[in-house]
Amino acid sequence: MASTLRLYSTCIRNTLEAAMCLQNFPCQEVERHNKPEVELKTSPELILNPVLICRNEAEKCLIETSINSLRISLKVKQADELENILTKKFLRFLSMRAEAFQVLRRKPVPGYDISFLITNYHCEDMQKGKLIDFIIQFMEDIDKEISELKMSVNTRGRLVAAEFLKQFI
Amino acid sequence: MSAVSVHQLSQCITCHAWSPDHSMIALCPNNNEVHIYKMSEDKWERAHVLQKHDQIVSGIDWGSTSNKIVTVSHDRNSYVWSLEGSEWVPTLVILRLNRAALCTQWSPQENKFAVGSGAKTVCICYYEQENNWWVSKLIRKRHNSSVTSVSWHPNNILLATTSTDGKCRVFSTFIKGVDKRDSKASSSSEAKFGEQIVQLDLSYSWAFGVKWSPSGNTLAYVGHNSMIYFVDDVGPSPLAQNVALRNLPLRDVLFISEKVVIGVGYDCNPMVFAADESGIWSFVRFLVETKTVSSAPTYGSQFSEAFGKFYGQSKYGASNDGMDNSRQGGVHHNCINCILPLKEPGVASVRRFSTSGLDGKVVIWHLGNQEDLLR
Repeated sequence: MASTLRLYSTCIRNTLEAAMCLQNFPCQEVERHNKPEVELKTSPELILNPVLICRNEAEKCLIETSINSLRISLKVKQADELENILTKKFLRFLSMRAEAFQVLRRKPVPGYDISFLITNYHCEDMQKGKLIDFIIQFMEDIDKEISELKMSVNTRGRLVAAEFLKQFI
Repeated sequence: MSAVSVHQLSQCITCHAWSPDHSMIALCPNNNEVHIYKMSEDKWERAHVLQKHDQIVSGIDWGSTSNKIVTVSHDRNSYVWSLEGSEWVPTLVILRLNRAALCTQWSPQENKFAVGSGAKTVCICYYEQENNWWVSKLIRKRHNSSVTSVSWHPNNILLATTSTDGKCRVFSTFIKGVDKRDSKASSSSEAKFGEQIVQLDLSYSWAFGVKWSPSGNTLAYVGHNSMIYFVDDVGPSPLAQNVALRNLPLRDVLFISEKVVIGVGYDCNPMVFAADESGIWSFVRFLVETKTVSSAPTYGSQFSEAFGKFYGQSKYGASNDGMDNSRQGGVHHNCINCILPLKEPGVASVRRFSTSGLDGKVVIWHLGNQEDLLR
């Protein structure tokens, strides 16, 4: 189990190192504007082919690059209904605070749970290696956090139910 | 190991250009200004700030005989600056562009300059004495996407351009009244302005960084698919060679001599390419010897700590963590996007050149003791 995670994150890391070659590029459609081309998609020659990396049917990662921006969308493993709800709420909590993370996208790409948008300005301000480390770390820790949350929900549920039913003994 | 001198002049440098005597450097620190630094007693001082553009300055070139600086910017404007007394005075350039300008270069005789733009056109500008401004002639409807790089042939007439549609094209830019028809030259003098001499469709990704060799016989440009293309005998039947790289793509190239090319790009380390006696080009080595460091950082931190680490370190990590986290252990820590020669008068091949990158450093490289490259 752990070995597939290692392979998955190594594959994503290598793809990101190749994809994160971004440069400042002014918009071809609108004068004096500078927009992330991967979001705009108006000039097909400026967008590269998207790469989809699947760990299994439930977990995948879509990496779309363009000349000045890169979009990474993750789908997290959700085994049951409870994990479904927890993932949605937790990732929504993070996405709403996207300004604090700078590279996070406010809404995930349809079909995925969370998305990052990295532009050339981020690559100029921050080191590429650390950006990639952050994304991989995020991915690896999401699973841990969700299972911790699930465990704490179950534990609390058990304690509350035990206390409640004690009055009927 | 090439001798280097590293100068941290800004946080991020878009492009740079040297004065004719190499004592001053003009650079754009990733904003709408051009800063001119002067070397005095081993320290760089900011001598002038040229403020006329509204958006980021994407190209600077300093004419070595005329001592004029041309700057182009994403705000569709361009200015030609001349030194009058101790101030730099801008002269208006009528570019007639409706999108950003991306790159510029003075022609070898410095009576014209070329500007590549996001409007899929190339502007060739020449000086009009009566109105004291520079007017342009446009090469339209030839490019399918933004023109990323321009380079003049030594004969002052041919211009090579690269574009994000992956093609490299060579045009004739003969302007009546500015250029003289050379009776000796054969094909280039018959062509009209804007006539496409050859179109090279070698790359399936974006093309950058085109340069002519010193004699004008060979053309080199890079593609974003991590390849570098060398074209000999540019004309009706060119001979093209591809060299595929195992590393990240390049951004710019420089001809050191007829047979040696230096490429710079996202690897933060200049790469040397050379042609052997039979004319076959190949990758020789990186300029900075790198120890292969297996980078597998062991992070034991929690989720929230990871956020703090990212926010606290990455933003300012360029200066302190540079050494142990930089993959190559090289000189630049971020993409190198500009390489320029520092030519000594009278010496044919280039011995010194400078690179600038997104890490804000200008590095001067000296090929003094690399005998194999100076053949």
